[in-house]
Amino acid sequence: MIAREQLFDRDKAKLDEAPPTLQQDLIEALRLGFISILVMLAAGFLFSGVIGPLFALGSVEETVTDVLTRLALLALPFVAYIAAASVARRYTSSDAPRALLLAFVPTVLIFAVISAGQYALDYGVFAPRQSLQMTLSQTDVGVRVDAIVPGGAADTAEMQVGDVITAIRRDEVDLAALNLRLGQAEEDDPLRLLFMRGDEEMQETVRVAIVSDKQVGALLPGFVFALVFTAIILFLPGNWAPYIALVGLMTPLLVGYFWVIVATFSYRTEGLIPLDSSDNFGGFTLENWESIFVGNIAGLEFNIWPILLTSLAIAVIMTFVVLLVSSMAGYALSRMNFPGRRFFLSFTLILHGFPAITLLIPIFIVLLRLGSIPVIGDLIGFNTAGGIAMVMVAFQLPLGVWLMKGFFDNIPWDMERSALIDGASRFRTYWEILLPQIRPGLLALGIFAFIGGWNAYIIPATYSIGSGVSNLPVFLNELIDETAPVDWNQVAAVGLFQLIPIFIFFIFAQEYLLNIYAGGTKGSS
Amino acid sequence: MKVTIDNLSKKFGDVVGVENLTLHIDDGEFVAFLGPSGCGKTTTLLTLAGIYKPTDGTITFGERVVNQVQPKDRNIGMVFQSYALYPHMTVFQNIAYPLKLKKVSKADQHDRVRQVANVMGIGNLLDRRPGQLSGGQQQRVALGRALVKEPDILLFDEPLSNLDARLRLTMRGEIKHLQKNLGITSIYVTHDQVEAMTMADRIAVMSGGRLQAFDSPDELYNRPKTQFVAGFVGNPPMNFVTVEVAQANGRYVAQAESLRLELGAERGEPAARSAGAVVLGMRPEDIQISDEGDVAGEIFIVEPLGREDLIDVRVGPHSFIVLANTETQYRSGDPVKLKFDTGQVQFFDPATESSLLWQQ
Repeated sequence: MIAREQLFDRDKAKLDEAPPTLQQDLIEALRLGFISILVMLAAGFLFSGVIGPLFALGSVEETVTDVLTRLALLALPFVAYIAAASVARRYTSSDAPRALLLAFVPTVLIFAVISAGQYALDYGVFAPRQSLQMTLSQTDVGVRVDAIVPGGAADTAEMQVGDVITAIRRDEVDLAALNLRLGQAEEDDPLRLLFMRGDEEMQETVRVAIVSDKQVGALLPGFVFALVFTAIILFLPGNWAPYIALVGLMTPLLVGYFWVIVATFSYRTEGLIPLDSSDNFGGFTLENWESIFVGNIAGLEFNIWPILLTSLAIAVIMTFVVLLVSSMAGYALSRMNFPGRRFFLSFTLILHGFPAITLLIPIFIVLLRLGSIPVIGDLIGFNTAGGIAMVMVAFQLPLGVWLMKGFFDNIPWDMERSALIDGASRFRTYWEILLPQIRPGLLALGIFAFIGGWNAYIIPATYSIGSGVSNLPVFLNELIDETAPVDWNQVAAVGLFQLIPIFIFFIFAQEYLLNIYAGGTKGSS
Repeated sequence: MKVTIDNLSKKFGDVVGVENLTLHIDDGEFVAFLGPSGCGKTTTLLTLAGIYKPTDGTITFGERVVNQVQPKDRNIGMVFQSYALYPHMTVFQNIAYPLKLKKVSKADQHDRVRQVANVMGIGNLLDRRPGQLSGGQQQRVALGRALVKEPDILLFDEPLSNLDARLRLTMRGEIKHLQKNLGITSIYVTHDQVEAMTMADRIAVMSGGRLQAFDSPDELYNRPKTQFVAGFVGNPPMNFVTVEVAQANGRYVAQAESLRLELGAERGEPAARSAGAVVLGMRPEDIQISDEGDVAGEIFIVEPLGREDLIDVRVGPHSFIVLANTETQYRSGDPVKLKFDTGQVQFFDPATESSLLWQQ
């Protein structure tokens, strides 16, 4: 009873508490911001000062801790801004001026503190950088020298104000290209500059210097960015955050897919931009696709249809055999009691964990022997789609059996008993009553098997050496191996061609697939 | 059809499911298997269905020994607690499934399913799937599926346990009515003694894999042959007290600490014949709180049931559950007097737990 009253009193106290004043909020925002800075610094130190040296003790060469340190330091200001703005977000809808004040005052202060730190430690925008110690600007005729630091690298090389740089050695440059080259250079690297002094073409070798100029003006873009960032954090609806994170993480993947599609329809690409032979935007072509069907890519002659058929045969045989055998074995393991059941169960698990690659040579010999048997050899021997499919099935089965056993375990015994009493034989019960219950499982396993078979590389490549039996992935590799120079747009076209059946498969299976994730079987009883 | 279970045992490895069960069930009889969880009643039912093979003993349907007969050849219908409907089939397909397996023609299937569905009151639901039905409707579909093939024997495995209390009451009546009309030998497994008492012609009370009693509800209630049966049948359960019964001057007296009951000769005499302590059993409805009572006690707790109150009265170290009407406003701690209807008293041997009054 006493405890309850205390509890009640505390709730009441909380309700009675006055809302925090602006000053209190500001202090909280700043506190959160600076705690974040300390946390991120601690994280950076943990990676670079503790974990990195620990690895080094064991003579392990690694760059992960280094990358993590840089990431921590890169994220440091953003985390601090987010932490500080989280206080302001409480007022975004109710009291906008207060929210703005609460968001931007800490941002400015945090920016100042971080910048001061960077200044003191020669880090970030104040880090020493490669420089030719002259001021340059882009003009129509070339890069003009506007000013020269006395006694600096350019001065030593006897560059003069008014020189117009046109090339480094023989490569023509503009200001951006020059800066790029400079950024890649190390201290004391010689850059041989070709420039015009008046009408005279001259050459001088300027050695790259590393200077730390600490120009406060360099802070401005960062400052503007910090303010914009804070504003975004302040007004971003909370439920967008997961989507932004997801899109951010997915972008590299999507860009990759986008490139594949663009590449297959263009002559060549620079990044994501399709280009024609004279480096202008454009150059769209269907040639990449045409050559697949014509059967000639960079002189390599082939017929795509048998290759496609082999891929299909492997995938389809694999899907059907895996589904049939896995579901029957899974049923037996789930429902029947027989000697060796436990051993078999644990053994399949071990098999599943066994690396298939180690069996390549023994299976090679088995297939070779099988191949010399009449009739059977033509079906499942060496250099046949059947043989390849059989090996792939064997490797897929342990997973399939386990998966199916799990699905059968979830079907109530009563349903099976009911079917038996209704007059069904054991096989009919399995086929008509139980299999429909595990349809989502069958579909999932079927997809695994189909995609596994369709994309199979190692096994088809090993067991169809030098024969006409190759599937698409093996062909794709041949394409890269035997054409020089490799036409990546052609390779992309074949890759995308290989994806088409999977796309079709998914479009038709979509409804069932969604069903898998939306709760398995329907009608729970 | 007559069902004879002779000396049936079913063991799972070292675990005993049922042991030495012998039962004779008459044609058209409605028998309930009653017992707590794990007493072997469902095991017995599944053995009758042919899902389990007996370890020992024989099962005879009519004149046919069915020990090795497959479930599909036994011509039985079964209703499960979980209904066990096939979720991927419509109600029609569910009910028609046994007929389809019997290779009944499509037209006949259609007629018979319609007929059964109409009897069960689910004629308008034939196109639905089980997932779209309420619990009660699913129950009717399951019953329809069991009935459609006109089975010789109907088996029920706690079919009402998953229904709400009100629906359970309705279905109880319907199943009993249906069984009487069709005259199909039925075996009904339940742990709910009210269900067993209200529906069954005879009840087989089981405990620990053994048959405790096999009798009509009335016999089980009034003449329990073991202490287990006395305690399990009847709600609220019977009160038990260990007493000593002595004869003095032609009168029989049961005595324990703080408790002294005078008995009639008819029930006192067999109890007095047994030397030493005996277990006295008394149903709550046979004890009254009354000023005329001769046993003083104190109310420990009052549980209102609506129609009446369930009152736990402490007499010395003993506790008696008593039923009282709700008009009496008793409170915990009130001193009361109890009046025992000693004409209804039961006596059991504390060692063997068998009744001293009624012989097995």
